Amino acid sequence: MDVERLLEEIKTKLSDVLVEAKIDRPRYASIKVKPEGMVKAATLLKENGFNHPLSVSGVDYPDRGEVEVVYHVSCLDSKSLVALKTALPRGQPSMPSLREIWRGVHFHERETWEMLGVKFEGHPELKRFLLQEDWEEGVYPLRKEFKLKPES
Amino acid sequence: MPIRVAWGIQHPMSGHLTLYLDVDGDIVLNTEADVGYTHRGLEKIAEYRNFIQYVPVIERACDFDASNFALGYVRAVEALMGIEVPERAKYLRVIAAELSRIMSHLYAQALLSMTGGFETMTVWSANDRELILDLLERLSGARVTHTYIIPGGVRADIPKGFKEKAYDVLNYLERRIWDYYKMLFQNKTFQDRTMGVGVLSKQDAIELGITGPNLRASGVDFDVRRDDPYEAYDKLDFEVVVEKEGDSYARALVRFYEIAQSIKIIKQALKDLPEGPIRCKTPPMLPRGETYTRIESGRGELGVYIVGSGTNKPYRLKISAPSFRNLAGLVYLCRDIPMGDIPVIYYSLDILLLDVDR
Amino acid sequence: MNLPISLPTLPNIPGLPPIPLPVLPPPFDVLIEFMQTSEFMEFAVELSLKLLVFPGLAFIMLYAMLAVWGERKLHARIHLRIGPYHVGPIFGLFQLVADGIKLLGKEIVTPERSHKFFYHLAPVLIMSLSMITLAFIPFFPVGPGEYWTIYYSEYSLLIILALFSLRPFIMIMAGWASNNKYTMMGAMRAAFQLLAYEVPLMLSMASVVILAGSFDLAKIVESQANMWFIVPCFLGFIVFFISTMAEICRRPLDIIVAEQEIVFGPWTEYTGMEYGLIMMSEYVDVAIASFLTSILFLGGWHGPGLHPLVWLLIKMGILSMFFMIGRSTWPRLRIDQLLDAGWRKLIPLALVQVFIAIVLVYVLKVIVV
Repeated sequence: MDVERLLEEIKTKLSDVLVEAKIDRPRYASIKVKPEGMVKAATLLKENGFNHPLSVSGVDYPDRGEVEVVYHVSCLDSKSLVALKTALPRGQPSMPSLREIWRGVHFHERETWEMLGVKFEGHPELKRFLLQEDWEEGVYPLRKEFKLKPES
Repeated sequence: MPIRVAWGIQHPMSGHLTLYLDVDGDIVLNTEADVGYTHRGLEKIAEYRNFIQYVPVIERACDFDASNFALGYVRAVEALMGIEVPERAKYLRVIAAELSRIMSHLYAQALLSMTGGFETMTVWSANDRELILDLLERLSGARVTHTYIIPGGVRADIPKGFKEKAYDVLNYLERRIWDYYKMLFQNKTFQDRTMGVGVLSKQDAIELGITGPNLRASGVDFDVRRDDPYEAYDKLDFEVVVEKEGDSYARALVRFYEIAQSIKIIKQALKDLPEGPIRCKTPPMLPRGETYTRIESGRGELGVYIVGSGTNKPYRLKISAPSFRNLAGLVYLCRDIPMGDIPVIYYSLDILLLDVDR
Repeated sequence: MNLPISLPTLPNIPGLPPIPLPVLPPPFDVLIEFMQTSEFMEFAVELSLKLLVFPGLAFIMLYAMLAVWGERKLHARIHLRIGPYHVGPIFGLFQLVADGIKLLGKEIVTPERSHKFFYHLAPVLIMSLSMITLAFIPFFPVGPGEYWTIYYSEYSLLIILALFSLRPFIMIMAGWASNNKYTMMGAMRAAFQLLAYEVPLMLSMASVVILAGSFDLAKIVESQANMWFIVPCFLGFIVFFISTMAEICRRPLDIIVAEQEIVFGPWTEYTGMEYGLIMMSEYVDVAIASFLTSILFLGGWHGPGLHPLVWLLIKMGILSMFFMIGRSTWPRLRIDQLLDAGWRKLIPLALVQVFIAIVLVYVLKVIVV
């Protein structure tokens, strides 16, 4: 389904959890929902043909006090992309895992947990992935308070 | 009784990966992948380097396909800034990207034939890859990590004598790959080793997020160069290779035909090269905002999500690397198979751990 | 003392009185007397010539040197490379000598919790097994009914078959004693593979035995004086060639030493000269396989003009080259494909061959035994 029709459908069905929905470029839309509506939005996207997961990223905004998690999915028939975003409170970021809906986000969510501390409930394997096994608990490298030591 | 074998990091054929296998006799019951041996924290480094300084860093994210990775990052930066490069630069970028793609596919073929113990094909493929590396050295000055594509255009124009030398090499390679076809793809032992091994159905491939030649070998007709075109690909004429079986043989065959298609693209680009400048001015700072762009690298679709901060350093850079997505396919496929199939599946999915770890 | 035999004395040194050797109690004095007779001297000289020159130490060293050089050069040329280049007169001929000196200088590492006796015994046994097999092969006739062989037996083919059957035990010994999961799995696969290919080996040898009427390798060659056995036994030749390739674990049938690619199977943990012994035993195995194939199917030492030994070496050299070309040209088969080929495809072919042999000898009476 192409993005214009998708945005119509989202505005009708997800009106209670929708924060923002816009089209950035031809065939590229971005949708921001509240955390409790993520599963509903994801299911709606998958039913409309967006079943090819591309990536899961987390962005740390300390000045806003939130961690934003972005899911990029694409639809292979209409060749379009959707970015599904949500903002989680920075102190306790947790959201239900979307692994049941899109199988391919398994390793992406594991990496986002490891790097940013976002807990995905229902994910069966949240453990160390890219960092070494004896990395300290509670230290998340991609948060802004983790500073890299500057090289000379 | 199953024993747990570490198909491990100190293994001649495992790359930078440990697979913990639960093996019963000869059958692998379950796999667990342990990655992260080459994790360099490239995404964190991006927040500390300005956007020009980051181009060599992103090329090291995977140095067998360096120009394509650089192109992915540079396109994201340019999309954020909203600038468009001159026509000549677009064609030159296409030439560098396609040469890099041939390099990556030849290397993948060399490694896949090594898994069958077929060192002859490994050495032949590596031999011909040297010619492409020489061409890239003429073009950019370095064999492997070129740093040729930068935000705003390309770094230098093509040198004198490059077109003739390129035509020589490409004509030779066009004839030579049919030798590979006879030696490798029509070899009964190789077919026995790879046909029917690691079959990914179309639905599984789409849902797992598999990308690149692996997706096209399972019957999905999708190529970012044709469907979401960038640079000069909408003006060039090429075919997208699709196979239906989804086994390792189909994946190797798709890569093989893509080498032939890349040669066609480079010849057209050299012929149609327009005159003009090779670089345009870029604003000194990255504007605020965010965007996601994608390109087709040798191993699959590379997506870059960049959040600009108003300074010349990105606020957040996320690289969605192709091998990271194909890793889900590896763990999904390595169940209930004989142990001798594991290296075949691993190398036919063309997973190189450098871009899994970044 | 007056004894019925004359005591040996040391040679005459001018200026000194003759010094008699000390008197030894029987039976040593009888033994020393016997060792001075001319028959024993001839026997001893011939035995040492066989053990040390041909087919013994010197021949094995020379063959290994040529085989290593030839294989690496051939392998390299197929790969469009050059191969060994520096050591030796004809561009790398002495590569084996250089490798041997290097391996002698390396430390022999014993894994920590391995069974040390069996661990160090296994490479010695595998090398000895290969070399003992050479003791029973007749190489050329030296007279009517006399052949140049270390031990002449009328059942030499059976003895060689029995020696082939000992191989899986040594591999299991090596794999188990190394205390390593990979080597144990490799040893199990080796046992499967070698067992599976022994049956076609025996059956193809059986067809030759039926045509020749004897288990004696020398008589088998003699009965090929008019027609080489490859003509009626072509299927048997193919089956035998493939089965020996599997028995000596040669590419493309060497999955057990390329366990998940190149972690060397049951021999993973060996270093230094033990590794050297294992490598050498592989080349000695190629020599044995080539000798056996040329004796059983290609007429052994028969050929016009030249000395019989020269003909045997020519045939053996050409067959060794086929083993080496096979290494570069085919990928490896997976273990279950290998076992499938051995049990389900080669045994019926070998049985057909045995049937043809029986028909030719007993029904059509074309070949007289």
